[in-house]
Amino acid sequence: MHKNTRKGLWRGVASLTCFTLSLSLILGNVLEANAGTIDTYLGTASEVFVSDNTEENPLYNKFTPPAEVLNADGSGNSNALIEAAIDLGRREVAEGSVLLKNENNALPLSSGSNVTLLGIRSHSNLLGSSFGVKAQGAYISLEQALSQNKTDFANTIAWSVGSRGAAPSATISSWTGDEFDFEGAGFNLNPTMIDIYEKLGDTYIHYENEPAAEVYDPGEPSVDEIAAVDPAYKDSFVQYGDAAIVVITRPSCEQVDYLPGGVAEGLGFEHGEPLSLTQNELDAIELAKECSDKVIVLLQSSSSVEIGTLKDDPDVDAILWIGAPGCYGMLGVADILCGRTSPSGGLFDIFTTYNMSAPAMQNMGKMYYTNTDEEITRTGGVLGFTPGAYTIEAEGIYVGYRYYETRYYDAVAGNGNASDPTGAYGSTTEWNYDNEVTYGFGYGLSYTDFTFEFEGEPTFDISVDAETGAPSAFATFNVKVTNVGDVAGKTPVQIYGQAPYTPGGVEKSAIQLLNFEKTDLLQPGDSETVSVKVDLQYIASYDETYDNGDGTTGTYIMDPGDYYFSVGNGAHDALNHIMAAQGMDATKMSGTGNANQAYKKTITEDFISKTLFSVSKTGYQISNQLPYADWNYYQPGEVTYLTRTDWAGTFPQTYDAMTLTNEELINNLNGHTYALQTGDDTSDIVWGEDNGIQFYEMYGVDYDDPKWDDLLDQLTLEEAMYIFTFGGPSIPGADSIGTVETYMTENAGNGIAVNLNASKDPNAPWAISSSDPNGNWHPEVFANAPICASTFNPELMYELGQFTGVESLFTGINILWGPGLNTHRHAYNGRNGEYYSEDPVLSGVAAMEFAIGALDYGLVAAPKHFAFNDQESERGGVSPYMTEQRAREVELRAYQIAFEATKYDTADYDAGMRGLMTSFSKIGSIECTASEGLMTEILANEWGFIGYAVTDIYDDVDLWTAVLNSGTTCFDTRGQSGFYGTTTLESSYLFQNLIEGVGLSKNLIDGDANLQLKLKDAVHKNIYAWSVSNLMNRYNATTRVESQMTWWRAAYYAAAGVSAVVMVGSAAMYVLSFKDKKKEEI
Amino acid sequence: MKKQGIACYLNILAAILGIAGLILTVRSSTMSTDNALTNLSTLILAGVVGIVLVCVAIIVPNRLGNYDPISAISVLAAIALYAYLFGSCVSQRVMLIAGLFSFNAGNTVGWSIFYTCIGAWVCLLVGILFLVVGSFLKSVKEPMAA
Repeated sequence: MHKNTRKGLWRGVASLTCFTLSLSLILGNVLEANAGTIDTYLGTASEVFVSDNTEENPLYNKFTPPAEVLNADGSGNSNALIEAAIDLGRREVAEGSVLLKNENNALPLSSGSNVTLLGIRSHSNLLGSSFGVKAQGAYISLEQALSQNKTDFANTIAWSVGSRGAAPSATISSWTGDEFDFEGAGFNLNPTMIDIYEKLGDTYIHYENEPAAEVYDPGEPSVDEIAAVDPAYKDSFVQYGDAAIVVITRPSCEQVDYLPGGVAEGLGFEHGEPLSLTQNELDAIELAKECSDKVIVLLQSSSSVEIGTLKDDPDVDAILWIGAPGCYGMLGVADILCGRTSPSGGLFDIFTTYNMSAPAMQNMGKMYYTNTDEEITRTGGVLGFTPGAYTIEAEGIYVGYRYYETRYYDAVAGNGNASDPTGAYGSTTEWNYDNEVTYGFGYGLSYTDFTFEFEGEPTFDISVDAETGAPSAFATFNVKVTNVGDVAGKTPVQIYGQAPYTPGGVEKSAIQLLNFEKTDLLQPGDSETVSVKVDLQYIASYDETYDNGDGTTGTYIMDPGDYYFSVGNGAHDALNHIMAAQGMDATKMSGTGNANQAYKKTITEDFISKTLFSVSKTGYQISNQLPYADWNYYQPGEVTYLTRTDWAGTFPQTYDAMTLTNEELINNLNGHTYALQTGDDTSDIVWGEDNGIQFYEMYGVDYDDPKWDDLLDQLTLEEAMYIFTFGGPSIPGADSIGTVETYMTENAGNGIAVNLNASKDPNAPWAISSSDPNGNWHPEVFANAPICASTFNPELMYELGQFTGVESLFTGINILWGPGLNTHRHAYNGRNGEYYSEDPVLSGVAAMEFAIGALDYGLVAAPKHFAFNDQESERGGVSPYMTEQRAREVELRAYQIAFEATKYDTADYDAGMRGLMTSFSKIGSIECTASEGLMTEILANEWGFIGYAVTDIYDDVDLWTAVLNSGTTCFDTRGQSGFYGTTTLESSYLFQNLIEGVGLSKNLIDGDANLQLKLKDAVHKNIYAWSVSNLMNRYNATTRVESQMTWWRAAYYAAAGVSAVVMVGSAAMYVLSFKDKKKEEI
Repeated sequence: MKKQGIACYLNILAAILGIAGLILTVRSSTMSTDNALTNLSTLILAGVVGIVLVCVAIIVPNRLGNYDPISAISVLAAIALYAYLFGSCVSQRVMLIAGLFSFNAGNTVGWSIFYTCIGAWVCLLVGILFLVVGSFLKSVKEPMAA
């Protein structure tokens, strides 16, 4: 070889390997910096959490899975776990599906029926949301549930497609594990239509997890397109004409809302709105009529779909709402269709004829201040949010059924211009309930009939704690429920209430859910007396103007007067009973009432004082804490809130051009809500003491035990700042208290979003090994939240929490970002699939039961998004303006119920949820994360919340001091926690643009005594939450972290090593080639 | 000046791509203060030095001939510096990109940063590729032997 050529070769090889070496090191650096996330997705473990099991400090003895999902030797039984999940998912949907219509006993269908499925989603099922609460892994399809008896998981893997054009992907790569037997409906399905929809699936592509869209197209093929595939398709109807089942869907998702008028062109949406039916969907129903005399519609949604036409259509025999049923929920649907289970769900939201008729819809979507550019200096943060977005929630407390039922009540009573056509969509001459509402909140049919009667007088238990002044006021209603039909069934027992309203006084809903229970399975003729305990605080009203006499204003009041309680099949039925009891004109009513199902209680000051509920259950005086929520606080008189006194005159206008003029408002929006101190004397605040206590010793130690002070004093200020700053998925390690960095948190409320064989706690005796055939199972399999709500079954909600807790033990997760707990302000919120309901009591009870059940297995459920995430449009920092009454009675009450968890309090233990995630949104002008009124006054002081209160990802990192001051306990800095890396307070790019004009540093709060004390409190709450979780299973004095060699780490090590060797060798050969040349020259 | 070989032209292209990559990297850092690269000044220094070294590799062979050690070392160092610039930017953009493809697809500023970064990375990687290929080849054309 020519010498120059050789030189060129060696130089080239050296350059090439220099590049591969550099690339390997870069790639390695990126992988290491994100190792936690990489491990989660690849099922690897970069570091293992090691503790020696000792007699003094035994491991895995605090929380263990139930024996049913373990083998005899205590190892995990994946088959049994999946079997249990299938069973629970099935029961959840069987109880949560809501039968809305069933004319001529069209349902149930007998086994062996020959059935035609119509609508492309009957073949390509919608199971979950595209992001957030996905249905992950292998599933049982509707066709399988109706006609087969064994899973085919290998060929039914759920796919997901994100919003805004994200590429679709399989939720698991493949399934080679067990298949499971199940009892299907036993129908024979029309194969012709299945084949047609399979072919049409090439054009109309659908996935099991799909998003909502701002311009929506349900992707339903036309009848002509069906005929184009098989012109003779109708011939098959003769053989499969016992029933025709049409599936109609409207998905939900994170990030994206439906928008008013946001429909794809040319689809003939019935009302020009995305939640109305398209012409192709209506044509599919017409096709069903041609096919069979029994037309059944399965409705999948997380919001009200405009189905008034179907309700009124005599040829549509049955409508069954089935939500987004998760991976196994179609079995529950099959149970209902074949009559194995009688439906017993109640609607989670009111279903209106026109969703746009809700007063909330006058102000939703994307609205911006007219002078944002001039006045808003704060940026959109690392997530690129748009500054200056807001929404005026002018509907006040009249959200969902509270609006429609209250206006109905006033229309019948002739009050407040309720019949005026203002706000009416069904008529131009009057507002009429029947025109506006299709199916009411809480409503649901059964295959049998039930009677309800109050058994005796309710018992009222009213007391006040002599020491704290905390009230305890409950009424217990005993309701005798009798199955007077022909088949066995369950039914919810819903107790509603009505407080006396005075025109011009505090706003009050004419009807509101107060609590609920569910019967056991009642055989025909059987009765059960169900006790429903009602917290009377929920019928009190928040009066923002009440003078507390101590310089503060605003508190809960209980006006003396006649209070009505009733039991009914939903809010409308219950209200009718009350109206009957009040002797209102039956001819003006929609439906009939039964006065015997209502109970009147005259409450006097002697019985319950007007201000009984001005003190919270913790004994804390309640007063206004969110004045800045109200636009009128800053710029009086610019917003008119809806009032019963004048429905027509105050029906919300659209406030889409608000201008900022008030300096305090502008200042708040710009984030200047906390003044960092630099010269405080902090010498009394102890950091870095050596008290000889370790974290593992804190299991079972009460929150207010002095031992916590000793532990916290051991932390250095920097360690505490680290714990506050780098939260989210991981616990930052703190040497002084013996904690090690640990991945601990995952997403979703419909299961844990971690594959079974990717446990974060692989040392657990029950951990599923990577070689387990079912190791690829993904536990996030359950239905979306509205299905859970619609069960109206607290025990089932609790069981779902328990099972998720069991999943958490198998996956090594001790904190769950879920369930979603915001209010369905309107039907267009894309996130409704993740939130339970429009009703705070239903939502709050569901979340409470879930959370307390999860804690049985050491899983801290952290509901989100606290609070006021009323829309996904501009969710990042949008300002929802509202009255404090609305904030407390509608938005916050669900959280209050869940956090107070009064049902589970004992004399020795104050039960409650131990975690939450804050909202991206503001409350009025102030970020929720930075609202001291929300996070400290209401959450901690009034409700007694103790636990892990994390921000949403990267939210408000520029407001570090204000967030700490508010009572939020840590930031979610996913991927920036220093996990396996070298991220420090100073080096993380997230915190380099603080509102104070400086970057975060370990000395930032050296001179701020308030923030140091707040930091101690935040860290205390964080560590306490960890200490009650199943994390303690694996902690003792020997706990440490050991690095492991993963395949991806080995790969980049090898690539770097080989590259380095070859590069050095090539360089050497290159140098030697000069030597050769010299020799030749000699 | 001698007659230039293919490596010289590849190195010139690599220098131009380096300049473009550096400019785009800086641009991606200044599009949003919240998404600024934490070590931008270091990255600029690395990029400038890398480009200068490529220039050295373009010029020096005219004096020292093909495959001279100075240009060889310059190219190696330039590759490492381009790679550092690329890698440092990638590692700081991982979470942004993860967000864009999941929960934060509506981040329009983020997408602009992403596309700018993609441009920068393509420039730098192609520049590295040219440097590697050029290393195998002659920078100057040698006179034919008599």
